[in-house]
Amino acid sequence: MSSDEDQSVNQLVHDARSPLNRISMNAELIKLILENDMPKEKGIEAIDKIINACQECSDTLQVLSSQHGNK
Amino acid sequence: MLNVLLVDDDNEFTDVAANIIEFLGHHVSVAANLKEAYEWLDSQPFEHILLDFMLPDGSGLHLIDHLKKIQSKAQVTFITGHPSVKGILAEISGPQMGYLVKPLQREDIEGVLSKQPKIKPQAKTSSIKRHFGCLIGESAPMQELYLMIERVAKTSANVMLMGSSGVGKEVVATAIHKASQVKGQLVTTNCGALSKELIGSELFGHEKGAFTGAVAKKEGVFERAEDGTLFLDEVTEMPIDMQPNLLRVLESKKVIKVGGTKEIPVNCRVVSASNRTMESIATDKVLREDIYFRLAVFPIHIPSLRERKEDIPLLAKAFLEELNSENGCEYVWTDAQLERLSKFDWPGNVRELRHSVHRAFIMSDPKGNEIQLPHTFESPFSQTKKQDNNVTAGQTIENVEKELIRITLEKVEGNKTAAAEMLGISTKTLYNRLHAYGDFAE
Repeated sequence: MSSDEDQSVNQLVHDARSPLNRISMNAELIKLILENDMPKEKGIEAIDKIINACQECSDTLQVLSSQHGNK
Repeated sequence: MLNVLLVDDDNEFTDVAANIIEFLGHHVSVAANLKEAYEWLDSQPFEHILLDFMLPDGSGLHLIDHLKKIQSKAQVTFITGHPSVKGILAEISGPQMGYLVKPLQREDIEGVLSKQPKIKPQAKTSSIKRHFGCLIGESAPMQELYLMIERVAKTSANVMLMGSSGVGKEVVATAIHKASQVKGQLVTTNCGALSKELIGSELFGHEKGAFTGAVAKKEGVFERAEDGTLFLDEVTEMPIDMQPNLLRVLESKKVIKVGGTKEIPVNCRVVSASNRTMESIATDKVLREDIYFRLAVFPIHIPSLRERKEDIPLLAKAFLEELNSENGCEYVWTDAQLERLSKFDWPGNVRELRHSVHRAFIMSDPKGNEIQLPHTFESPFSQTKKQDNNVTAGQTIENVEKELIRITLEKVEGNKTAAAEMLGISTKTLYNRLHAYGDFAE
């Protein structure tokens, strides 16, 4: 793999970590909401954010796969 | 609670992270780029900065330079999702700096924020002299006491400490032990708190199977205090029929464990203590004459606090210093407060003074540095002049019982065996009640 390709993979991994980070943090928030009997609307909002972040992460992995996966 | 600055350009992340940080009990401000972060840092101090490495208008390292410039002491934790940056961060991180790799979990944030180095108050060296490392007071009665401790420490004579409750008999025993510079330890036991069945085992130890429940061999306090000091508190409350056994050990310097046959040589100084007066010891026949002369080779009377009123400000300052140092506070006494403390009678002696200082410390305004004394120094001991023991409707049984125990103990000069007899309960029950009420605790 060339250094340009290396850089590109690193960038895509970084891009995939951002939505994963949001998924992780929103899941932690839901845990706190449930543990503390907080309004469920806040929890649903966090769940929606997780669903969107999953989609975003999937898109990034798709790019990674199409650019480097078949090489 | 920490003041935290979160610097990251991912708004969705900062929203949720800010929620979690607030949940953890901290105050959080958010910046999406370096410019906003600089504005926050110029407007208020922060204890912790959670910082993204890659920001739209520069690197997180630029912010580190800015922190040095403004001499901020904030702890910094880099947050990165870039694998190549992880290595660089590991190299630059130190005690003031750390890093976390995305995706984060609550424990990660909790961990870095709880590791915040607390600025400990500098341990101040006390200006108050502690004689033998533990006794405070410069009055004439205390100087006399120090002289006696010094003299007796050079010998191996048994010492009997006498003085009313709360004068600090155990502290004096510690002082004698320290001044003796013996290689063994100081072992303390309360003869009044042990049942007749257990006192033999506590003092002399027992062999395995000596009685029901003796599942293993046990060392007695005499053996544990080998080459050291044995402090027998409330020795006059020891059951009279157990005293010949103690006398035999004091005379022969050998113990036989309960259920055993072998004589074990022992070598320790015995310091004993009693709340009773000489007269009471003689007239109430609580201690056999032969044992008294063995224990009280060198009797020491510890002065009550009202006999050394000039030491009250010194003691109050020392107790406050201890509390300040334990809790990182800076409370100080005013002259008027020290004078008020000095005028009080302190029937519960140094122990009562210490309790009152502690209570005042708890009640004081945490925002100020002036200690707040209560309007009255109320405790069961400070109401000695109050004779109002009428039972009236509205009082709880517990309060009436507490009052009855108090006046009975007063009547018998603190002799718990006599008080229990007068109250028609066992000594053990009386001790249980006293422990439950706490206020009477020795």
